[in-house]
Amino acid sequence: MKSIHQSIILAGLLLMIPLQGCQDLLEKKPLGQLTSDNFFQNETHALWATNAVYNLLRNWEVHVFSYIGMTDIVSDDADKGSTPNDANFLLEIDDFTYDAGNLAMSTVWSGYFRGIYRANLAIDNIPNIDMNENLKARYIAENKFLRAYFYFTLVRWFGDLPLILKPLTPDEYKQPRVPAADVYAAIIQDLQDAADVLPDSYPATETGRATRGAANAYLAKVYLTIGDFGKAEEFAMKVINSGVYGLFPDYAKLFLPEGENSIESVFEVQSTALDIGGAGSQYNEVQGVRGVPNLGWGFNRPSDDLIAEFERGDPRRDATILYVGEVLPDGSAYVQDNPEIVGERYNQKAWVPEHTGGNGNGPGNIRLFRYAEVLLIAAEALNENGNTAQALTYLNMVRARARGGKAVLPDVTLTDKSTLRNAIWHERRVELGMEQHRWFDLLRQGRADQVMAKLKPKFTAGKNELFPIPQSEIDLSGGQMTQNPGY
Amino acid sequence: MKSLCTILSFLFSLGALWGQHTVTGTVTSATGEPLIGVNILIKGTGNGTATDIDGTYSIAVPDEKAVLVFTYTGFKGKELVPGALTTLDVVLDEDVELIDEVVVIGYGTQKKSDLTGAISTIKSDEVKRVPSANVEQILQGKVAGVQVTPVSGRPGEGAVVRIRGVGTLNDASPLYVVDGMLLDDISFLNPNDIASIEVLKDASATAIYGSRGANGVVIVSTNQGANHQARFNFSSYYASQQVVRQIDMVNGTEFATLANEVATNEGRKPLFADPEKYGVGTNWQDVIFQTAPIQNYQISANGGNDNVLYNISVNHFDQEGIVRGSRYQRTTVRINNEYSLRKNIKVGHNISLIASKNDYEANVIGMAYQAEPIIPVFDSLGNFADATVRIPVGNPEVSIFYNYNKGNGLRTVGNTYLEAKLLKYFTFKSNFGLDIQQGRSKRYTPVFEVTPTSLQRNEQSSLSVNSDRSNSWLWENTMSFYREWTNHRLNVLGGVTAQEYVFESLGGSRINFPGDTPEFYYLNAGETDGQTNYNTSYEWAMLSYLGRINYTFKDRYLLTASFRADGSSRFGKNNRYGYFPSFAVGWNITNEPFMSSIPLFSRLKLRASWGQIGNDKIGAYAGRPTVTSNLIAVFGRNEAIQNGASIVSLANPDIRWEETTQSNAGFEFGLLDNRLQGNLDYYVRTTNDILVNVPIPEYIGADASPVINAAKVRNQGLDFNVSWRESKGKFDYEIGILGSTVNNEVLALGEGQEEIFGGGLGVGGLLGTRTVVGLPIGAFYGYKVDGLYQNQSDLESYPVQGSEVPGDLRFVDTNNDGVITTADRTYIGSPIPSLIYGFNLSAGYAGFDLAVDFNGQYGNKIINAKKMARFGTYNFEASYLNRWTGEGTSDSEPRVTNGGHNYEFSERFVEDGSFMRLRTIQFGYTLPDQVTSRIKFSSIRFYASGTNLVTWTKYSGYTPEITNASSIIAVGIDQGVYPIAKVITFGLDANF
Repeated sequence: MKSIHQSIILAGLLLMIPLQGCQDLLEKKPLGQLTSDNFFQNETHALWATNAVYNLLRNWEVHVFSYIGMTDIVSDDADKGSTPNDANFLLEIDDFTYDAGNLAMSTVWSGYFRGIYRANLAIDNIPNIDMNENLKARYIAENKFLRAYFYFTLVRWFGDLPLILKPLTPDEYKQPRVPAADVYAAIIQDLQDAADVLPDSYPATETGRATRGAANAYLAKVYLTIGDFGKAEEFAMKVINSGVYGLFPDYAKLFLPEGENSIESVFEVQSTALDIGGAGSQYNEVQGVRGVPNLGWGFNRPSDDLIAEFERGDPRRDATILYVGEVLPDGSAYVQDNPEIVGERYNQKAWVPEHTGGNGNGPGNIRLFRYAEVLLIAAEALNENGNTAQALTYLNMVRARARGGKAVLPDVTLTDKSTLRNAIWHERRVELGMEQHRWFDLLRQGRADQVMAKLKPKFTAGKNELFPIPQSEIDLSGGQMTQNPGY
Repeated sequence: MKSLCTILSFLFSLGALWGQHTVTGTVTSATGEPLIGVNILIKGTGNGTATDIDGTYSIAVPDEKAVLVFTYTGFKGKELVPGALTTLDVVLDEDVELIDEVVVIGYGTQKKSDLTGAISTIKSDEVKRVPSANVEQILQGKVAGVQVTPVSGRPGEGAVVRIRGVGTLNDASPLYVVDGMLLDDISFLNPNDIASIEVLKDASATAIYGSRGANGVVIVSTNQGANHQARFNFSSYYASQQVVRQIDMVNGTEFATLANEVATNEGRKPLFADPEKYGVGTNWQDVIFQTAPIQNYQISANGGNDNVLYNISVNHFDQEGIVRGSRYQRTTVRINNEYSLRKNIKVGHNISLIASKNDYEANVIGMAYQAEPIIPVFDSLGNFADATVRIPVGNPEVSIFYNYNKGNGLRTVGNTYLEAKLLKYFTFKSNFGLDIQQGRSKRYTPVFEVTPTSLQRNEQSSLSVNSDRSNSWLWENTMSFYREWTNHRLNVLGGVTAQEYVFESLGGSRINFPGDTPEFYYLNAGETDGQTNYNTSYEWAMLSYLGRINYTFKDRYLLTASFRADGSSRFGKNNRYGYFPSFAVGWNITNEPFMSSIPLFSRLKLRASWGQIGNDKIGAYAGRPTVTSNLIAVFGRNEAIQNGASIVSLANPDIRWEETTQSNAGFEFGLLDNRLQGNLDYYVRTTNDILVNVPIPEYIGADASPVINAAKVRNQGLDFNVSWRESKGKFDYEIGILGSTVNNEVLALGEGQEEIFGGGLGVGGLLGTRTVVGLPIGAFYGYKVDGLYQNQSDLESYPVQGSEVPGDLRFVDTNNDGVITTADRTYIGSPIPSLIYGFNLSAGYAGFDLAVDFNGQYGNKIINAKKMARFGTYNFEASYLNRWTGEGTSDSEPRVTNGGHNYEFSERFVEDGSFMRLRTIQFGYTLPDQVTSRIKFSSIRFYASGTNLVTWTKYSGYTPEITNASSIIAVGIDQGVYPIAKVITFGLDANF
């Protein structure tokens, strides 16, 4: 009997133990990572959340393969390049045969909206952190600048967009597209807010963050894009008069490592080749020489049309294009003929010297905004606003630097508004060639049809000025989003 | 009325009528009731008879030494020698123990006749028929209502098991219970150790597992010791595997011709001046596939006495994969003991130790499909040829050569239990189980380049090492009460269980190693500059309370009720507990007095059940947004990195239990003394608040979408199972057929949801499935095709999208608005089969045995997605040879291009996934007793078998079994799988 009693007591105890001891068993906190409960609590978190937005600028989805396709390859500056059988989706862009299932559009769409989301998170949460108020304001301003940058690129590609300025809750997931004008208004607001707060420059350890000059430069460019030349002039002049920037003396060296973060740099994506990787970008690799030397995939071939645009003796032609037989800028090798590539040539501005981690670990900073462009925006706006003399001054500053002391590229002396406009447009093309500006220039100048139709028979006016919204996004929006015309 | 049974027995016994004399008599039970249908056999012959409705029998016996064997289900058998008697009345005693099979159910066992739930059992001899490391694959075609789809043919890889269709859009795999241990993964289990597998299908059977049982429960019992002298078993097999089939690709000349046509069609110059010169070219599938062996050895000892029962086994399994470079090796040791400590106390343990090694192949299956056939494997100098000259697809031989990716694992799964009988009717059981896993993997890539210009190269040697560890414990304490009265049987169970799981991984990498041989494959050999590391962890826990009542009245009326409350750490505080009840009733009609007049039925039972179960199979922290760090940015003149972090993945704090309500009605029958047996079940399973990880628009900007409670889905159908078995002397055979139908329909989507898209297809990630109310989950959504535009007038007379030219697919204008737009996309097939079936035949004659199993499925479709994704001019499937090249040349295969109109998702890429397969055919021979006893063996059997020898299917890929273990809204999409193998096996099984 005794053993039975013991058994009952034992059984009772064993039944009770889970009841008593395990109640807190179900409280599990995420291990080794922060959660929304304990993030955005201090200054460091604010910094990290801001850096996480910059992080995307080097990203494959933002400034690499598809980006090159939808800026240079689509334009008259470049052809797809590489071997004819590689990357059919870029060929479709080159030929204007792409549809709403094309990889490039879905890639940049998700990449840029990820940037917008990360910026929204920071803008929404940083104000509640108890921290240094100046730093708080600056981080918010940096995020607004980056959000504006992402939207500015998207709106020029796709037109009307879902305008998302805070993190969405599940009941807000279905978003319609709002008119491009509203998107531009939001971009301008963000850039204004950023320009009010951002510093003119940073200590040497923080180079690469958005500055007041960058915000003003983008304001100038946004206004130029929407045809508000008065405002474009106003903000370009703010940048010029800030005295922060100047032209780097040697055009060709501007795109070499020594030209990174130069006096001419208004905004550039910081990238570096570390042994551990993770800090480089593939911007250089996708445009690198395919063959010997083995530097990359060989996409983005400078077009015949671009070559023809250069004036006789313009040193920028050689600085922009890397030909077969040409010695690399650092003298390490020469480009050998690859029989699989037709009309082989490369974007020399994307070339980088030998570095650790393989071609995919590219160290080249992506020069998004140079002071030369600010001068050309100023020139263009001034000309439109009737200030020809000052327009010529800025135009000829750019030409003078380009000529590098040679007896080429004489000063422009035109005074007719329309011919000067064409001269400025010409200058933009050769000064900024293969720097992913051309397609957007053609669009804002209203010349895409005129220029592209004679080069690409499948170009359709009224359709190909905008890329299609990725079909998967229209499907997922629950019918809220509509497609662009013609797709 | 004479039973058919008796008539047949009588006929069978006709052959013995010339015997010396006839014996007659009556067989009764101890209470004097006549027993109807008692089997009477003359020992050592096939002659026999059975008793009639009055319990009387008559049999001719050959001589006075003849032994009569009386057997009757539920009674103890008797052997009697009538000698010269002509009348022999027999009394059989009821055998309570043997009244019928005992079936393993959740937290206990039950007499099969008392079951109210839908449970299927597979015995060990069936388990052993397929040479596989995986138990899941063995279930294929064996259980009605269970669909087993191999994830791939990779050695050691498991299968997706779905019981009665798909209830959830999330992880839909069942719960595995191995000797009481609750597991999600049973890859460690050695099939040779299995005694039986029970598949619990309806809510009455699974509800005791509450949330864990929502997708069905598979209970695996391993071999236990028995009270007899030591018996040894040695078994071994050797098998040879080959790929079931190759995909029909074009040859060199055909490739060059098609590539030229693509260039012309897309407005470029043809690339290959003389296609003829390439001839047959390289078949890259021949390069990556090999004939691969499997070896398996097992030795076990089994026995026991009144105090200790034991079963100990050691097994070694070694399978090379049919893709070169893949291999899986596993050694298992199992020790199952039970000790009777006192009259009323038993303790025991089931312990399994497993060491495994995995060699992972290079990622060459897709490469072999895409690489140009005009590139040789080696150039004329014997060096690797560069396959990347025109397209970014490397030479598979190179990838195989430089690949080093190996893992090894150690795992211990075991439980110990104590069982104490208390106060006559109570049994207390405490069971503690552990599952400890450790895994290690290494991946090394040397510096190499195929040629100086090749894209296939690696510029820095690198090694990455990963080490992970998981620890799961389970503690279950149950108290049960069991009592029998004359007319009643009552079993009550109550208990508390707790389980916790912790996972942690640790790893790192370095670059620039001093040598490329395995002795350098340690992180310390690499440079510290450029090293990386990581360390992550997650955990979850459950706490549950359970109870069940089984009541049987007069062996006729059965009642089961169960209840379980589950607390899960995965849910927020407000939704932490789920409550899961079930009820079931059964009626053993055969035990009704009126049935004694209908002896045709040896078994007839009706049963019905209803129950609710839940599902918590979501990520450990799905309710809480977590922060992703290491989103680094570069700043500063000296280009330094700074940390970045943000909440890039979304979460849903309001997430709650998914709940499934299942009703089941079925009947079981046995006729002619159970020679014909079968059952039929009708089930309806409705899952509410399904946990879905649905794609959300990219413009929301998150890296990962949240899990939400989003839909209501119903599965209904029939499970059926019929078998006929018979013995005639030395010859016995059994024929079985089983099947199940699944009708899957989405009943509702969550608030604000009208459709759920899924499945990325092609180069640009088109969504190919659309889940809407009224159609199956993950139904395919694309354009219907009605031939090709043959000429310009077709383009003018039929609706177009705009970019079409002659030779392009003609999509159907389903909404009749005169143009082809995305609104014309429609339902073009379901990946869920409407019928899953199997049929089995086994026969034995004088030592020979034969078993043949077929299985198949009908009605499902497959998206041939690998054909859709042409990033450049990759190799072509042979179907391209039927392309349109001018008016009237084809009305199905369009002109050849790499993208555009013809690569939108349409019926062009949807193929019929129905198949029937000769799953196994096995032929064995057991040596006669005289031979084996002479060499002191109790039995020796040799066998040869073939697995997957023939598949009848229209599908063009490696295999029509295409699944997706992670997303139920992207099933049936073939992006290129590791193919399954056909296998020839030779084996030996010896007992001594």
